[in-house]
Amino acid sequence: MALGKLWKISYRDLARHRRRTWFTLIAVGLGLGLLILLDGYIAGVMQDSLETSIRLKTGHLQLRAPSYEEEKVSLKWENLLSNANEIAAKATALPEVLAAAPVLWATGILDTADESASLRVYGIEPESALYDPIRDGLVAGEYLQPDDRSGIMIGKRLADSLGVTAGQKVNLTVVNADGEADTVTFTIRGIYNTGILSYDDTAAFMPLVRAQALARTGDRASTVMVRLHDRETAEQVAAQLQAPDTQVLTWRELNSLFLETFETAAGFYKILDAIVMIIVAVIIANTLLMAVFERIREIGILSALGMKRFQVVIMFLLEATILALAGIVVGLILGSAGVWYLATQGIFIGDIASTVDTIPIGTTLYAKFSPVSMGWLSLWTLLIVLLASLYPAWYAARLEPVDALHAQ
Amino acid sequence: MEVIRVEHVIKTYHIGQIETRALDDVSMSVEAGEFTALVGPSGSGKTTLLQLMGCLDRPNSGAVTINGHDVARYNAGQRADLRKKEIGFVFQFFALVPVLNAYENVELPLLLSGVKPKERRSRVLELLNAVGLSDRTTHRPDQMSGGEQQRVAIARALATRPSMVLADEPTANLDTANGEQAMTIMQQLNEQTGTAFVFATHDPRVMAFARRTVRLRDGKIVEDGAGN
Repeated sequence: MALGKLWKISYRDLARHRRRTWFTLIAVGLGLGLLILLDGYIAGVMQDSLETSIRLKTGHLQLRAPSYEEEKVSLKWENLLSNANEIAAKATALPEVLAAAPVLWATGILDTADESASLRVYGIEPESALYDPIRDGLVAGEYLQPDDRSGIMIGKRLADSLGVTAGQKVNLTVVNADGEADTVTFTIRGIYNTGILSYDDTAAFMPLVRAQALARTGDRASTVMVRLHDRETAEQVAAQLQAPDTQVLTWRELNSLFLETFETAAGFYKILDAIVMIIVAVIIANTLLMAVFERIREIGILSALGMKRFQVVIMFLLEATILALAGIVVGLILGSAGVWYLATQGIFIGDIASTVDTIPIGTTLYAKFSPVSMGWLSLWTLLIVLLASLYPAWYAARLEPVDALHAQ
Repeated sequence: MEVIRVEHVIKTYHIGQIETRALDDVSMSVEAGEFTALVGPSGSGKTTLLQLMGCLDRPNSGAVTINGHDVARYNAGQRADLRKKEIGFVFQFFALVPVLNAYENVELPLLLSGVKPKERRSRVLELLNAVGLSDRTTHRPDQMSGGEQQRVAIARALATRPSMVLADEPTANLDTANGEQAMTIMQQLNEQTGTAFVFATHDPRVMAFARRTVRLRDGKIVEDGAGN
């Protein structure tokens, strides 16, 4: 039988029960819309956080001495890179590299008359593009100059908690490479605000040479940080920079804890996805079973006219397909509207962001459109709806014509 | 030529623990072009016999032969194929597909049989004209009277040019005028097309149209003779 006629019977049957059809496709649409929204939100937060982490903390690649352990923030000479400038120059020459520069990390305590805070000291090359986010985030004072011997920059959040402003003097104590505590008075040259609370709270920047002098590390550096034009070239560039006396870490390794945290969270969302899909499946199965029960006699007539069982199955599957496709359209509209809202307005979470140490998230979280993911979710919805409709369709098809014709 | 042969057919139903023998060793045959009434009181087995003839059900024992094919052991698909080609049905309730209009309802068995569009169109219009409904082609069942719906059902039963039409109480839900009109149309089509008509009824006015009357009682044929 021409599929067109079965299609006609299916959609007219749906049209005959408009209210039920509307409720069902709105249920499918809401389910899919919710999944698209959740997915866009998670993808947005994850992508934003990863990009922020790469931009502010890890870079795309880091080259370190093989014995360097980041957690210890060691300043021992054997744990530091002795040829950091050479490595940075070699990296900078590669076309895939946006910027590369040595960094020296140290732990320190910043004191004012009334307050103190522990933080990480970053000895940086201020002119490097690696520090554009700090330069762009300047909210008070001025940006560091490479030859500044007495200036440091701190985050706005730290400045606020210490009650200091640009131009004020503070004491910075660092345990140097010889294991001795050195306290030096610095001037707050500038205050920046990146919007990432965990970063604005615990860092102080100074020129690399000044940090090296303070920590007594000579011209050594903790790492050479590299930023690429495209993060997908990280492995390729890492291979080119690999040398016997250095370890090369890519952004994946540098953010492994953060990526694992997100994968675990994504796993929980998959369970939520499954629950939503099951609810949609139950609604569809219920709607189609009601349609079958209402039309048992009609199925008997069609069987009497010679319609075969597989054609009865196709008729109900077509009905499910129409419901699914219309529901998917509703879902795509609702989901896209939700994602659009969260992508432009975001959700303000404020200080909660600072409680998450491993994940650099801002105070406002934004969603992102992911057409591929929307396509997959739509396909899944269609598949689930068709699976859910198999039982009602099978139930209809196995009715004996004689029983169906005499149904009340 | 014989279109249906029923031989020593037994059909029992179980209602709870109770077994009811609806047909008890029934044998009869129907020739091409016959206009036959199966008559008898309610529960006499006439609808059951009609269902076995129409391959809608299978007997517990005995043989049902349609145009020479023993259909007792046909599977569901084979029975559907046979119904599609050889048998038209008219039911007591106006058994139209509610979402299709008159034209589409008559066209449905032709679509199921794979008849080409041009041929479909001419047959549907010809049949709707024959039952006096050429001005009702686009009306859906809920826009037609009971009599009109039953005439559409008659047109649909004849669409595939079957060798027989089986009608179960075709006038039971119609008033006298509409009932007589439906019977007259079936009689005319029987004469014009040579299609055998077998209808189950207990309405004496319908029996008056029959050229042969088979009377059943308690699942057995008790009389088989010329019409009233």
